Amino acid sequence: MPGPKLVALAWRNLWRQKRRTLLTLASIAFGGFMAVMMTGMQDQSFADFIDNAARLGAGHVTVQHSEYMDRPTLTRSVTGTDAKRATAESDAEVVRAVERISGPMMVATARDSFGAFFIAFDPAVETPETMEFTEHLDEGELFESADSRGIVVGSILAENLQLELGDKVVYTITDRGGEIVSGMERLTGTVTTGAPSTDAALVLLPLGILKRTVGYGTHESTQVAVFLEDGRRTIDVADRLDPKIDDASVLTWDELQPEIKAFVAMKVGGGRVMELIIGVLVAAGIFNTLFMSVLERSREFGIMRAIGYTRGQLFSLVMLESAMLAALGLVSAVAVTAGPYSYVHGMGIDMTEIYAQQGNSVDIGGVGMDMILRVGLYPESAVIIAVSIVVATMLAGVYPAWKAGRVNPVEAINQG
Amino acid sequence: MSNQESKSEAIVELVGVTKVYRTGAVETHALRGMDLVVKRGEFVALWGPSGSGKSTALNLVGALDTPSGGTVKLEGRDLGELSSRALARLRRDRIGFVFQSYNLIPVLTAYENAESVMALQGVSQKEREERVMKLLADVGLAGMEHRRPHELSGGQQQRVAVARAIASRPAVVLADEPTANLDSVTSEKLLDMMARLNAEQGITFVFSTHDPRVMKYARRLVGLVDGRVDTDVVKEQGAEA
Repeated sequence: MPGPKLVALAWRNLWRQKRRTLLTLASIAFGGFMAVMMTGMQDQSFADFIDNAARLGAGHVTVQHSEYMDRPTLTRSVTGTDAKRATAESDAEVVRAVERISGPMMVATARDSFGAFFIAFDPAVETPETMEFTEHLDEGELFESADSRGIVVGSILAENLQLELGDKVVYTITDRGGEIVSGMERLTGTVTTGAPSTDAALVLLPLGILKRTVGYGTHESTQVAVFLEDGRRTIDVADRLDPKIDDASVLTWDELQPEIKAFVAMKVGGGRVMELIIGVLVAAGIFNTLFMSVLERSREFGIMRAIGYTRGQLFSLVMLESAMLAALGLVSAVAVTAGPYSYVHGMGIDMTEIYAQQGNSVDIGGVGMDMILRVGLYPESAVIIAVSIVVATMLAGVYPAWKAGRVNPVEAINQG
Repeated sequence: MSNQESKSEAIVELVGVTKVYRTGAVETHALRGMDLVVKRGEFVALWGPSGSGKSTALNLVGALDTPSGGTVKLEGRDLGELSSRALARLRRDRIGFVFQSYNLIPVLTAYENAESVMALQGVSQKEREERVMKLLADVGLAGMEHRRPHELSGGQQQRVAVARAIASRPAVVLADEPTANLDSVTSEKLLDMMARLNAEQGITFVFSTHDPRVMKYARRLVGLVDGRVDTDVVKEQGAEA
């Protein structure tokens, strides 16, 4: 016949008040669910946001002239871009490296002219991972190759210039030598990124044509944009590439776009505060359960002390109950969260109408956010949430456990 | 040690023991210099009116409380010199408790309650099983091993409590008003069983009571009045109080 070990005793104690234990498990599960969904949305939206910023800008990691960041002019170029691309792509974490030319320009039509920001690229080497909107034009089509004629502009800019497909667009920029040069293309398409400030200024041009216009060599650009599988690995990859490229700067996306970095940091901080609040509320519920259970059993703890249980054993008993609650809570949280998480991860929630009703533009540093809300929890976030649930539950048990060990046997036995 | 020497050995010694409870500015003197020696194998009842100090004395002997003055010794060891941990060990190994309200652990079966102290002592499972099954049979609970306390009557619960108290082979069993919640027939049966355990196994019992039925079974009656020993009578063999 097996003896009453502390573990068995703790397990049975947990189920003495089934309803209360189930309610506590429900609150842990709900807290876990909230933490996973909130953190998952945050992780996913920031990952998407960073990828968007990288696609629209110059990659997760950028190789460019060391002074280009201070004043982006076409006089500050990098050469040997084919070799630099090859160097970058030899890194296991790099999925693609492409060359681009970008900078400010003036665009004009017969009716109006505006300041703009252009990106010249080779559509043949770009993929949806490096430039998503190449496949999602509002109307018209992209130029076919680096040497094809054509120009694509942001939808708001097209509207401002009253452009129709096929209309002439004249652009004016400074060339490699700092001289003003102009080019002319016919509008082949318009694009909407979701960021109004970008859609009012963006111009896409074929790389080869622009190189000839500004006097660049075959393997010369303003940037080599490097794309990674995981946008959070930029620092490590940049650190590895930097010593291999000695005639240009290797920068991360957040060094190039500090306003986006600040936005992400602010939102992550806000998210952590929300998670902390949820954690404290759940921990308070668990504390209440354990403390009530200890108070109700103080007579029993008195008896246990009388028959020879040490303070440490009573402390351990309540902490074991706490640990079991944590383990069961974790399982409950996984059970409750798995279904909704899978759905929102796969299908997403379309937020377009909600944002439209609120009149919000989702534009941070010229980068739009995806209107389909999805969850995608980073593995480390999942570990943090699981550990937080266990730690919060265990911490909530410490005082009740201490209280159980401090019960005065005489007073406890004589009560009730 | 011969049986005679063993019988004359002092298990419990109280010398000039005082106990004062303080509630705010109010002081209550529960014991006012109590002296008492209980020898191995005795069947002693501390009796007296409410407030005479019976339960306080039992709590001090049981190392559940500490005296305000004087010395309490168990098997020659001064309890005042022991740490909290050592006192817990002492209660586990040398003292058995039977309380007025049975006080079994509700989530454990009769068997598990009876073996709980032995499990704490680290007695092997085989030995625990042998001892507990015999004890439960001795106290008339054979076949009820798997019942939880709420499935047992008051008398049956108190018999489990007695089995728990003696299973660990303590030096002394302290029983605080053990019959207070039992009807007369059940009380007689319980006391008869304890007297038998005292006679057959030489287990020392110290009761606190004002129940005449307990006093009838006791071999020595220690009367307390106002926290002091007022009378101390050892009954002749076969005599009743």
